[in-house]
Amino acid sequence: MNSETMLMMLIALPFAGACLAALFPPNARNAETWAAALVTLGAVVLSASLFPAVATGTPVRLNIEWLPTLGLSFSLRMDGFAWLFSMLVTCIGFLVVIYSRYYMSPDDAIPRFYAFFLAFMGAMLGIILSGNLILLVVFWELTSIISFMLIGYWYQKADARDGARMSLTITGVGGLGLLAGVLLIGHIVGSYDLDAVLDSGDLIRSHPLYVPAICLVLLGAFTKSAQFPFHFWLPNAMAAPTPVSAFLHSATMVKAGVFLMARLWPVLGGTYEWFWLTGFAGAASLLLGAYFAIFQRDIKGLLAYSTISHLGLITLLLSLGSPLGAVAAIFHMMNHATFKASLFMAAGIIDHESGTRDMQKLGGLFKLMPYTATLAMVASAAMAGVPLLNGFLSKEMFFAEAIETHADSILDTAAPYVAVIASAFAVTYSIRFIHAVFFGERPADLPREPHEPPFLMRLPIQLLVLACLVIGIIPAITVGSFLHIAVVSVLGADTPAYSLAVWHGLTVPLGMSVIALIGGALLYVLLRHYLAHCEEGPPYFRRLKGQRIFERVLVFVSWRFARLVEATLGTRRMQQQLRLLVAVSLVAAAIPFYNSNFGLGLFELGQIDIPFALLWVIGIACAVGAAHQAKFHRLVALILLGGAGVVTCITFVWLSAPDLAVTQLLVEIVTAVLILLGLRWLPKRWEDTELGRAPISTKLRRGRDLLVAAVAGLGMTLLSYAVMTRPSPDTISGFFLRKAYEEGGGRNVVNVILVDFRGFDTFGEITVLGIVALTVFALFRRFRPAPDTIESPEQQRIQAATDEERSDRITGQTVSDYLLVPSVIMQWLFPVIIVFAAYLFLRGHDLPGGGFAAGVAMSAAFILQYLAAGTVWVEDRLRILPVNWIGLGLLIAGCVGIGSWVFGYPFLTSYSQYIDLPVIGEIPAATAILFDLGVFSLVVGATVLMLIVFAHQSIRRLRAAKISTTTIEEVA
Amino acid sequence: MEWRSHLLIVPILLPLLTGALLLLFDERRHVLKATLSFVATVILLVVGLVLMRFADSGEPDAARTGVYLLGNWSAPFGIVLVLDRLSALMLVLTGTLALASLTFSLARWDRIGPHYHTLFQFLLMGLNGAFLTGDLFNLFVFFEVLLAASYGLVLHGTGIQRVRAGLHYIAINLAASLLFLVGVSLIYGVTGTLNMADLAVRIPAVTPGDQPLLLAGAAVLGVAFLVKAGIYPLGFWLPTAYTAAAAPVAGIFAILSKVGIYILFRLSLLLFGVDAGASAGFGEFWLFGAGIATVAFASAGVLASQGMARLAGFYVLVSSGTLLSAIGLSTVEVTSGALYYMVSSTMALSAFFLLVELLDRAQDPAADVLAVTMEAYGDDPDMEDVVEDAGLLIPGTIAILGLCFVACAILLAGLPPLSGFIGKFAMLDAIIGSNKPTLDISMFGWLFTAALIGSGLAAMVAMVRAGIRTFWAPIEGTIPRIKLVEIMPVAGLLLLCAAMTIGGGPVLRYMDATARAMHAPHVYVEEVLSASPVPPPATTEGSQP
Repeated sequence: MNSETMLMMLIALPFAGACLAALFPPNARNAETWAAALVTLGAVVLSASLFPAVATGTPVRLNIEWLPTLGLSFSLRMDGFAWLFSMLVTCIGFLVVIYSRYYMSPDDAIPRFYAFFLAFMGAMLGIILSGNLILLVVFWELTSIISFMLIGYWYQKADARDGARMSLTITGVGGLGLLAGVLLIGHIVGSYDLDAVLDSGDLIRSHPLYVPAICLVLLGAFTKSAQFPFHFWLPNAMAAPTPVSAFLHSATMVKAGVFLMARLWPVLGGTYEWFWLTGFAGAASLLLGAYFAIFQRDIKGLLAYSTISHLGLITLLLSLGSPLGAVAAIFHMMNHATFKASLFMAAGIIDHESGTRDMQKLGGLFKLMPYTATLAMVASAAMAGVPLLNGFLSKEMFFAEAIETHADSILDTAAPYVAVIASAFAVTYSIRFIHAVFFGERPADLPREPHEPPFLMRLPIQLLVLACLVIGIIPAITVGSFLHIAVVSVLGADTPAYSLAVWHGLTVPLGMSVIALIGGALLYVLLRHYLAHCEEGPPYFRRLKGQRIFERVLVFVSWRFARLVEATLGTRRMQQQLRLLVAVSLVAAAIPFYNSNFGLGLFELGQIDIPFALLWVIGIACAVGAAHQAKFHRLVALILLGGAGVVTCITFVWLSAPDLAVTQLLVEIVTAVLILLGLRWLPKRWEDTELGRAPISTKLRRGRDLLVAAVAGLGMTLLSYAVMTRPSPDTISGFFLRKAYEEGGGRNVVNVILVDFRGFDTFGEITVLGIVALTVFALFRRFRPAPDTIESPEQQRIQAATDEERSDRITGQTVSDYLLVPSVIMQWLFPVIIVFAAYLFLRGHDLPGGGFAAGVAMSAAFILQYLAAGTVWVEDRLRILPVNWIGLGLLIAGCVGIGSWVFGYPFLTSYSQYIDLPVIGEIPAATAILFDLGVFSLVVGATVLMLIVFAHQSIRRLRAAKISTTTIEEVA
Repeated sequence: MEWRSHLLIVPILLPLLTGALLLLFDERRHVLKATLSFVATVILLVVGLVLMRFADSGEPDAARTGVYLLGNWSAPFGIVLVLDRLSALMLVLTGTLALASLTFSLARWDRIGPHYHTLFQFLLMGLNGAFLTGDLFNLFVFFEVLLAASYGLVLHGTGIQRVRAGLHYIAINLAASLLFLVGVSLIYGVTGTLNMADLAVRIPAVTPGDQPLLLAGAAVLGVAFLVKAGIYPLGFWLPTAYTAAAAPVAGIFAILSKVGIYILFRLSLLLFGVDAGASAGFGEFWLFGAGIATVAFASAGVLASQGMARLAGFYVLVSSGTLLSAIGLSTVEVTSGALYYMVSSTMALSAFFLLVELLDRAQDPAADVLAVTMEAYGDDPDMEDVVEDAGLLIPGTIAILGLCFVACAILLAGLPPLSGFIGKFAMLDAIIGSNKPTLDISMFGWLFTAALIGSGLAAMVAMVRAGIRTFWAPIEGTIPRIKLVEIMPVAGLLLLCAAMTIGGGPVLRYMDATARAMHAPHVYVEEVLSASPVPPPATTEGSQP
């Protein structure tokens, strides 16, 4: 197997393992553990076997094209630094998997745990091995998302949910910042490839976008590594199961931030801005983390703050811009991971065995679990920086760096003091952890009786603690070469000379260590009694809870403020929306005229045709009246609307467009009747009797609406005037006039346009008509009238009352005798209108008429029947299936269109000829007339369907009323 | 004329004829109806894919355009259908969403009201027609077709909430249709043509005196499209209507708002693109500004939404706003990324709309019962009662739902590793990325970047909140009963998004080719205007066939 394949497998294996783990049955705890352990062990072996290839000095690379146009390839790259980290991640991952077997309870959903755990490991390896910065961001966000799942693993607990959400929110924000930062780096360098970026240090540092770029990249790194001021999510993430904390919050995820800083340190670091940003964040985290850790009651809380502090130390080291600092940083990343993972696991054992993690409740466990206690003590000593342990070595290097002067500033001057104080704090909290848990009085009221854990649960800790010891005593022999290739791969030619010896002689750093150890121990002695009874959290800072502030800000921004914005800048009221629509279109249409010297042609009074103008005055009056009455007097509005429609019809006649006039007239009639039928079912509205009574605000609103309407209307008028008075352009209508007869086969150009030139439009429009009818049908099937419309109309009641008063009449007689004579005539008109419709249909191709007009005329015949005889009579006698008419109409029209395919022509190509029939004479026989038949059928079907639906409502009303009363009775 | 060339009109005719045919069968034969509808939709998707292969079959950099002359009249006199990479893309997207929504509705929704399948097919006809047509008035017709069908569908299932939101929807869209007509008439009045390609030729020649009239027409037309796209401040109706609509209807409506976007993309580049002379770049500034405002407002709306359906409704606006500002930026690279984003976000939204119903079922089992009692109150003796054959209790239902939800959340928030991220990254890369290191990033670029990142953040916070509330907070979670046909479309759409991520290379290549063709409209114009009708057979005398 070559090294590229191994690299691919290394990253694919955990993800494949995750998929596999998810498929296990919920109770197969052992099998699941074995599988996960095998996967992680496989990853360890793969990592380890890549060492020879990496040790040659050239990184192992694998490049798979992914999104070449965006410069994003799936490229993996393993150099010494990445190798060291991947060893760390896989080894600790393996140990934690074994540990988890004993930690997790049989009731927990084990498949979910291991699936996310392994997926997380894969994502983390992805960050480490990415050879492309965008790919790194991809894996970076993936770790945020998966860690959300792992922190919230016990989602029944509120603190787990909150902790998970907080960590995802903060690291997610950081991830977006990182993405922006990486994009800027890509912008500067011209590539996202890590090698290309690492080669362009000078270019990046001198670019004007350098400062924004590092701010954004550091936002990502600081949030991920829980650096001040984004540190507060980490203690809250302790709600996660302890194996998760051991893996994510010691060794891996929180290390991603410092990993990235170290990775990009050669290109981004070494400047003043970098120094200040990272130096301040690092120093603050180092000091505050250590200080806060002293005052935690929860063991995991203590460890979490300690992690913040140690990561601060690493950040501070990376801020200095000296190669030796970078070496120390890399070394401390390793050391911290080993001792902190083992401490977390020890904390998990204590929690698991005794049932609590509260240090004020615990005590005297040394006698009950001596092995665990010893291991924890060694690991704590490493955390405190006691000599002969690995923590001591990197801390010594840190001290040595802190006393050097790098950039002359307050921060740099303060560094040694900060270092010593923070180390002293570290000693204090380490002692506190050991002393409070393992020594002193053994409390009586522990939830469980503690005892030593199973061997395999302790084994991971033993191995890690052994590593702490071995590295601490003989560093050069054990990790020297590994560390060296990592350092060289980051620093390259700048690699300084450093020594990993335990004893450097009596140096200033050693003195500082001694001061820190003694000072820390003294501090613990002083604070011991206070700590045994204090509240959670450090004095003074206790009230200032990052978590609370975060929650408040989040709730405010993401809920209250957002709702406020939605409520004030948006609306759910239709009136306002329509008003906005009118206003926006007004402005949109006006803008092009602004600043243009557009002039309207002058209006000459002499040109006005007086009767025509009067006609229009009437039409305008009708339209305005309709708008005015629309709200409270619907019937009046409808009649006035009809008036405006008639004026439009006459206008068409006047301007020699008989086709339009015929169609318009028929449509006006049918729609007016249909709306009339619908009016019956609209709820009543009562006018606020006198306008004077309406409140000022209403008046203002109405005034404003009137103004908007008037301005919009005026604007529309001006636009129409401008378009209609300008010289006619070279339009396509000339073509239609020329070709209608010779190629379309009809003298009626309008009809030829409708069924031939633009037959496809007609096809679409009849579909619309059909759909509207179906929609009306569907809506009315479930229609339940408003309560105040259920009663019979007032007129009917008056008639019925008269019947009752008079002894010679039967109730309801007057209503049934209504329009007796006209109704007979109307019934006789039925066949006449059908013939008329046929006439309109046939002559359509040459003279005004056509399928549409014929269809509407036909439906007028049905309307008359309803008017004359009432719904019950018509429904008894008439078997018309309007839905089928609609369907057939569309099918006919469609098939006529498709018919031309047979002859090798496109859809709807028409063929026309005149046929001489006996008696009737010469009639046109264009295929278009068949198409028109489809139109006719559909129009009849659609209008009749709507008619039936409206009319049928009056019958259903009674049944509906019956049904609703019966259901009420049933419920009762 | 070859038979294959008629394939271009099939996406319009097939749903039309299917819808018409379904009208001839009684509601009681719903199995037959559902089968016909389903088969037609599958064929539609296949035809879409075939057409896409055709559109993409030419030279990588050249646009391949298929032109279909309806009634055998050449452009600009007759109506033309035009197929290029962009319209083929939209056809396939429509087919995909249609198949998913239709499959979902087979579980229950298609039997809740009359003529569901017919209306659904007519909606598809309108959508496909709008994507294929090359004629401005014909576009209006297809807009009407799809809107009329959507009116029917938004009311499908009735209920006070739905009818109220539906009537608002109808009122606003009717008003917008009116504006559409006004705009078209103004443009016709000035240029004397309706064919889009012909318009592109005539617009540069419009005299300065007439130019304001033309632009006013274009602006009014634009407002009509912007209403459909849901731009701020004209899009307040959208979240309410989409929330109220039945789940499968909302699932297909996810593409409805993209019709406006599609037209704006096409027309702004075709009519006011590089070759438009004095009118070039018209409206870009306004589109950009309004797009950013939409993203900002809709992000607040996403955060302020309590229900998940409403959240999704607001996210439709986020997606629209992002795309509109991308149109405003008007560069080839941004357009390419925006197209990718559009496909990804539309599929994700559709999946989410479908998923929300399933999740709501877990929240409140009473809601399901309520929908059924609604049936009982109806008075349709001919309507078969919806049998509540409780779906299978699939083991791990919650796990599957949870996984789907997480995938939706990742997609909507634009987080890696799914296609939502790739789309955003593609647009961001076009603005500040590695492609043009020498170019300065404009203020617009910064604003756009901030809007993209900010809206993703808002979506993340809101989705995390909704997810925790749905999956983690309930003490006694009820496991919803879910049928396989309901979860399959959701999973299918999400898997497609995943496939778009892994196969991002070829997909982005297609988008790049599409974007390049859109920004060089002269090829489209030449192809359309040079298409010649089939000559009449020489032997026939007299009138031509």
